[in-house]
Amino acid sequence: MTALIRSEFLKAFTTKLLWILALSALGFVLLTVVLGVYLTPGPPTAEDINVLLEPAAVTNIFASAGGASVFVLILGIIAMSGEYRNQTITSTFLTTPRRQSVIFAKMIAYSIIAFVIALIMWLATVAVATILLTTVEHAPIQWSSVIEILGGVLLGLVLYAILGVALGSLITNQVAAVVIALIWVFVVEALLTVFVDWLGKWLPGGALNAILQATNTSGVGGTDSLSVPIAALVLIAYTVVLAVAAVIATNRKDIT
Amino acid sequence: MAIEVVNLTKSFGSGVVAVKDLSFSISPGKVTGFLGPNGAGKTTTLRCLLGLVSPTSGTATIDGSPYKSLPNPIRVVGASLEASGFHPARTARNHLRVIAAVAKISDTRVDEVLHTVGLTAAADRKVGGFSLGMRQRLALAVALLGDPKVLILDEPANGLDPEGISWLRNFLRHQAGLGVTVLVSSHVLSEVQQTVDDVIIIRSGSLVYQGSLKALSDGGPAEVVVKGPEVGKLAQIPGWSTRVTEDGTLIVTGATAAEIGNRAFTESIELHELREKTPDLEAMFLGLTHSEGGQL
Repeated sequence: MTALIRSEFLKAFTTKLLWILALSALGFVLLTVVLGVYLTPGPPTAEDINVLLEPAAVTNIFASAGGASVFVLILGIIAMSGEYRNQTITSTFLTTPRRQSVIFAKMIAYSIIAFVIALIMWLATVAVATILLTTVEHAPIQWSSVIEILGGVLLGLVLYAILGVALGSLITNQVAAVVIALIWVFVVEALLTVFVDWLGKWLPGGALNAILQATNTSGVGGTDSLSVPIAALVLIAYTVVLAVAAVIATNRKDIT
Repeated sequence: MAIEVVNLTKSFGSGVVAVKDLSFSISPGKVTGFLGPNGAGKTTTLRCLLGLVSPTSGTATIDGSPYKSLPNPIRVVGASLEASGFHPARTARNHLRVIAAVAKISDTRVDEVLHTVGLTAAADRKVGGFSLGMRQRLALAVALLGDPKVLILDEPANGLDPEGISWLRNFLRHQAGLGVTVLVSSHVLSEVQQTVDDVIIIRSGSLVYQGSLKALSDGGPAEVVVKGPEVGKLAQIPGWSTRVTEDGTLIVTGATAAEIGNRAFTESIELHELREKTPDLEAMFLGLTHSEGGQL
């Protein structure tokens, strides 16, 4: 397994995709931080109220690090479906005919990569948010919550990377896989969350938000969220189910 | 190590039967050509043999076990299946290192195979910029990486220049000489004619011939070409099957050149040419594989 994981790291670091997605994620996260500090909207009825005087709103800015989740999801998807796209899957499965080993190795490799990305996102968020917050009037930063967010970002991104690898194994057409994932995250999940009140928190995105502790405070999506341990279990359950489906589908597949 | 294919059948979901009850065996130390027109089921057979496609029924084994059961398969079997299986942004060397890492093969060996296939100078270039011939060489390098005892190459000459084809021929002969089992597929007989000892010919997923190339050429009717002003007299001799071509040449089957010459001499028939025609392998191959006017 070590050799397989080493091979997966070699694959990841011998193309530019990882760097492009990691840098895009960093740009997105930092933009969210900037917008959070300077453009956090007040309640609709009282626009002159400075929401940043609420401690929870300040904590929410630090949760921006979790915005990298969708990039990590795409990274996982392309890591697997890209092998089908470029037909490197043939030599991959010739070298390792036990296909589940390939999937597990990729999941482990991208978990580690997602862990490092999560750490970088959190550090960058903390650094930039702390500096920017000195320029505005705000409630004191609750450092215990910020540390909790680190745990959430690490867990959330690692699970999203694994979800991505599983999705990329199930939908091997790379373009379709990426498009379907994006439509799910930004359209289907968003609509379900708004219109089916009880459902949103049980969806992967709702669970992820609970883990990131983002919606606890801002109320985005209009649902109360799950407790962090339950949300973590829900997201892990999604990941396990998709991973099992990915292994079954991949082992049945004819590589032509 | 021998390759055994027994009653192999593969039908795809769409109802297409790609391989029908195919059986053959391949012995080590020889180069075996796997021939048939495009779409005859060669690639499907090879992919079944390599565990990439699950047979509907039947078995395909290498040294008695299915490919998927081999512990470190690329140390035993080297395969090149298509020229396009590379990430365009990855360099040739890195492509090999990715595979070598899994099988715990050293970077020194990566350099060795790059040298063997003549890609040392292009090793650090991105594969996206490679010509078809260079991709073929890289695919061969992948196959050689584990120093395997069995080589399975799908259309390896495709895209190679004449110099490359000649090199490949010598290389494969050399490998067979070392006891390696070599299986080379092609849809053009002439491409492998000088390389292979044995041939397996399939059409529409079924076996039409397995045996030595020599036996294939001996199997055809021996024809003797006879030219002269009075060949018509020879055409009437009973026991010989004869036909006259448009330019007046007599083609005789069922007699040797010596017998015809003797007859012509005793009957004082003037001859200008008398020779045994070497069998046209390509024509025989086409005859075997070209059914009902199907397009090759």
